[in-house]
Amino acid sequence: MFRVKGSRPCRKVRGLLSEYIDNSLSSEDKSFFEQHIQTCDGCSKELESLRMTVQLLHRVPEAPVPRSFAVTAPERRRERAFAPPAGLRWLRPATAIIAVALVVLLAGDFSHAFVNNAGVNTGGSNATYVQLVPTSAAEQQTMVTVPGVMGQMSLATAKAVGYTNYNVLPPSPPSEVATQPVPVPSVRGDLGGAGAGFVAQQGSEAGVGWPLRQTEIGLGAVVVVLLTLMVFARRQVKGKVTVK
Amino acid sequence: MDELELISRSKDGDVDAFNLLVEQYQRLVYNLALRMLGNAEAAEDASQDTFLSAYKAIGKFRGGSFKAWVLRIAANSCHDKLRVSRRYRIVSLDTLLLETDDLPQANNTESPEDYALRRELGRFLNEGLSHLPEDQRLVVILSDVQGLSYEEVAQVTASSLGTVKSRLNRGRTRLRDFLLQREELLPSKFRLNK
Repeated sequence: MFRVKGSRPCRKVRGLLSEYIDNSLSSEDKSFFEQHIQTCDGCSKELESLRMTVQLLHRVPEAPVPRSFAVTAPERRRERAFAPPAGLRWLRPATAIIAVALVVLLAGDFSHAFVNNAGVNTGGSNATYVQLVPTSAAEQQTMVTVPGVMGQMSLATAKAVGYTNYNVLPPSPPSEVATQPVPVPSVRGDLGGAGAGFVAQQGSEAGVGWPLRQTEIGLGAVVVVLLTLMVFARRQVKGKVTVK
Repeated sequence: MDELELISRSKDGDVDAFNLLVEQYQRLVYNLALRMLGNAEAAEDASQDTFLSAYKAIGKFRGGSFKAWVLRIAANSCHDKLRVSRRYRIVSLDTLLLETDDLPQANNTESPEDYALRRELGRFLNEGLSHLPEDQRLVVILSDVQGLSYEEVAQVTASSLGTVKSRLNRGRTRLRDFLLQREELLPSKFRLNK
């Protein structure tokens, strides 16, 4: 057995043995290699033994194939029906996109990101968001009409809703104050005792109307359906596959 | 029909075209698996896995050497099997003898003696290969048994040319040392120190 011993040139030559045998050395390295081999008996023996080993490897007999590994046609059809090809290739990215959108919506909803600075829920969630707006006693008692809106409402309500164009009505006797229904999105509340109070302002009717909650539920349902489809498809593909 | 045409048709779902590719490469794949795993049954499994994986992934083949692509899948399949079960690494002489028993005679002119010698050599080299580390074994088989170029070996092993050369040199040297240690068992015709 030969060990990599000897001088520095010997170590270099022994690192190049394989490439020399395969005739893939550069002309410079080849020249150095051949000069060294002529004068170094150890490296020369090393080269010959390695060359014989490679020649033996070239003679390793090839084993016959015991059977065909061809893929069967029915298997091919089954694979094509459930795996990557056209049918369900879109499933995974579509599910991912919708799931991400749902997460963003839920995060925005819980953090009130869809509520604007005026306290209006632009996301349109009907029942969940109510903001109490402080009002003065005078604004609550002063009744106004708004062009285009049926009935009367208090000045406080009109301001809370955001109406800027309204007509102030003359004061009326105490018994007749604001008994008519007002088709505006506010709920009045006397939280401040006599005089000053609050207008409880509900978001959706005052804000921009797109149904956040319904959108969330819809997206959630779509994600569940897509995930179910994916699981089904994967089970089909994982079935035992055979060859001829 | 040339190989590119067969690949193109396979991508379009032509199973017969794909099986022509299988027919063309199954011998190469099976022999790589047999040398890597040292066990006929495991080699069959690995070959089957290779062609099924190739068939599933044919749409992702983006050109280049199809042979290198298939052999890379085969090498990965062998690696998985070796990782799962180390028992394939050490192969008994009896097993190897059994595997080489049915070697076909190279041609009609080969004498029974030469045939026996060749079988003995195959058995001996198989055992030597089974003693190499997996990465060196793969490179030696691809280069010296299957005759791939350095560039093709680099593609199959997903490594650089420098790494291929280094592994090949170390693998050959190690195999040579194995043969020298057991030289008295090697047929005299094939002994390294004559």
